[in-house]
Amino acid sequence: MKPYLQYLVILLDDTSVAYCHANNPLTKRNLMPIDTLKKAILFGMKQNLMIQYVYPDYELPAEYNEVIESIDHVKIGKDVQVLNEVPKAVITDNLVLRLTIADFIAHQYDLAALLPQVKRLNICLTDMESFTDAQQENYKKALAALNAVLANLYKSQQQPQVNILTDRLTLTEMHNCEAGIGNITVAPNGKFYLCPAFYYDEKMGISNRMNHKAKDASRSIGDLDNGLEIPNKHLLYLDHAPLCRICDAYHCNRCIWLNDRLTWDSNTPSHQQCVIAHLERNAARDLQQQLKEAGLQAGDEIKEINYLDPFDVKETW
Amino acid sequence: MFGIKEQQLDWNSGTSKTITFIVTKDCQLACKYCYLVGKNEKERMPWEVAKSAIDYVLDNENDPDFATEGVIWDFIGGEPFLEIDLIDQICDYIKSELFRRNHHWFNSYRFSFSTNGINYDNEKVQRFIEKNKTHLSIGITIDGTRRKHDLNRVYKGTEKGSYDDVVRNIPLWLKQFPNASTKVTISSADIPYISESVLHLFELGIGQVNINCVFEDVWADGDDILFEDQLVKLADVIIDRSLYKEFACSFFAEHIGKPMDCKLRNQNWCGSGKMLAVDAVGNFYPCTRFAQYSLRDKEAWIIGNIHDGIDKNKLRPFLTLDRCTQSNPECIDCEVAEGCAWCQGENYDAAKTHTVFQRATAICKMHKARVRANNYYWNKLYRKLELEGKREEFEKTHPNVKPEIC
Ligand code: SF4
Ligand code: SF4
Ligand code: SF4
Repeated sequence: MKPYLQYLVILLDDTSVAYCHANNPLTKRNLMPIDTLKKAILFGMKQNLMIQYVYPDYELPAEYNEVIESIDHVKIGKDVQVLNEVPKAVITDNLVLRLTIADFIAHQYDLAALLPQVKRLNICLTDMESFTDAQQENYKKALAALNAVLANLYKSQQQPQVNILTDRLTLTEMHNCEAGIGNITVAPNGKFYLCPAFYYDEKMGISNRMNHKAKDASRSIGDLDNGLEIPNKHLLYLDHAPLCRICDAYHCNRCIWLNDRLTWDSNTPSHQQCVIAHLERNAARDLQQQLKEAGLQAGDEIKEINYLDPFDVKETW
Repeated sequence: MFGIKEQQLDWNSGTSKTITFIVTKDCQLACKYCYLVGKNEKERMPWEVAKSAIDYVLDNENDPDFATEGVIWDFIGGEPFLEIDLIDQICDYIKSELFRRNHHWFNSYRFSFSTNGINYDNEKVQRFIEKNKTHLSIGITIDGTRRKHDLNRVYKGTEKGSYDDVVRNIPLWLKQFPNASTKVTISSADIPYISESVLHLFELGIGQVNINCVFEDVWADGDDILFEDQLVKLADVIIDRSLYKEFACSFFAEHIGKPMDCKLRNQNWCGSGKMLAVDAVGNFYPCTRFAQYSLRDKEAWIIGNIHDGIDKNKLRPFLTLDRCTQSNPECIDCEVAEGCAWCQGENYDAAKTHTVFQRATAICKMHKARVRANNYYWNKLYRKLELEGKREEFEKTHPNVKPEIC
């Protein structure tokens, strides 16, 4: 089924925690006005969206809490813990770990040690753009190290999820980030963005590469007063992404923000994104085989393939 | 008399790479339809930049992007012949390097020029032509009759037309390149002159007139009807005077105006991304239309430079583009889609977001008008030939019009 809008991400403050690939460069507090928050919630209710509040690291004024609690929601930065380094122990069983590729590789054993403590671990790489082909082997080894622990846990009936390894086992079609089509973000200024990263870019004056003399440099896609307006929305869907639509790295985020930065076209992924996702896909295949050998259910067979970047085999489509 | 050296290679088939040097952004003319919004006299390519660009391309002989059988070294401006000394130096260097490196493009290369023709008889230009005649193609742009040509192609700073200065050089050009063709671009104001202009170019001895409507959104209400009338008028003269035996106008092409299947016929129209353009400061582009001086509303799409090479990520959108992904549903279902062209650069410039995946369709009604006139042309022509019992003969011998890509 085509994705449809289901989630509204509300950035409560400019300094709200970054929870995905993009770092939040904004350091000055700028709390969403309470009326804007109310409008955002109303929008979410009317559109039947699940609300995800993204918290800053300070206590909100008391009057906010009542408004926040007026609707069912998830609190990113609270219910979902977001960390930028590997902790010794975890306090929530749903954890987002934002790591550089080098840190992920360096801390692979610490990460493996966390696995028995979590229900779900989302690993989010923060410097995919600088991934080099020379790092492939080490990334592969780090994934294999996590796999070894995961396989043992699964055999003993524990089933922690790790987004980059176990999600692929159960997926039978693309399940990407879906920014702009499955979820949208509202920022403290009351404007909509495809995801928080586009808001950061706008605040930092990072160009949308439109000619600024002629076009507005804003990255927003509407506001709470006038509603959503996503130009070229159809290009966000999988059927308009020539590489991704033939790919089976179903767990890949297919990060349109990264696409926009690296290939300049939101529907075209970079080499780096594809290679990383395929190393993960292939690691998921290894895990699947280990689980199957142990007689466990591990989803539909993930086929063996001989490429890491679908772009390299585009002539054979 | 000498012609272009014809080799086994089909230069338009995708087996050759086009590398374009934007040697200058200056031109003697200020044509009214010129898409180059940022023309100027300052940006001339220094020799060091040209040399580094050539070195980069030849050093990367084994890169799949440069593994084509042949290469077209293309020179544009502004007006390229304003930089004939530089061009001569570039071409000498290319030839000597291809030889020195035993490069697979040695003897599979061409030098190609689009010129306004004003300097064509200049001594240096002529010396250059003589020296490189076996590997050369030169297109001179002439828009048609004096009144049509001078409507648009005027000297910078004055309203003086350039017709006389160009036409003066046509006989020499045709003597040197008897099979040469010319390229005519039609904008709204040119429509009333189409028929007389094409006929005039035939009269000048130009056998093939490649002609197309601009892709920009310039068309006024009723332009399509006027356009169709002009083409029907032209069709009548070509057929009634049997001009079709010797001359061809690209507006009339048998294959156009049919529906297209998204599975079987999904390739992109234009070659941007498979070409490489380099400008005076050494930046690389997927095609010259992505350089800043060609763009109205977007920033340049720079894919690298002579120092750092090409950032392949920036080419990925171009190399994965297909017809249907960039087309809207109306174009996908269009019953006359075949031959309806687009320019990737204009698509990008006119797009609502930063993308090459949004097809601009300003040309829609003009293409439909062309298809109607084209149908008229072939129906009338074949009926005539059948009545004369000459259809078979014609099909074997008539000049074949290839779709012009850019
Ligand atoms: S586009 Fe999606 S995957 Fe990329 S940074 Fe934004 S939310 Fe994350
Ligand atoms: S691996 Fe590449 S092609 Fe596949 S879904 Fe991810 S970004 Fe798209
Ligand atoms: S632009 Fe118009 S004529 Fe061309 S394919 Fe689309 S609908 Fe058909």
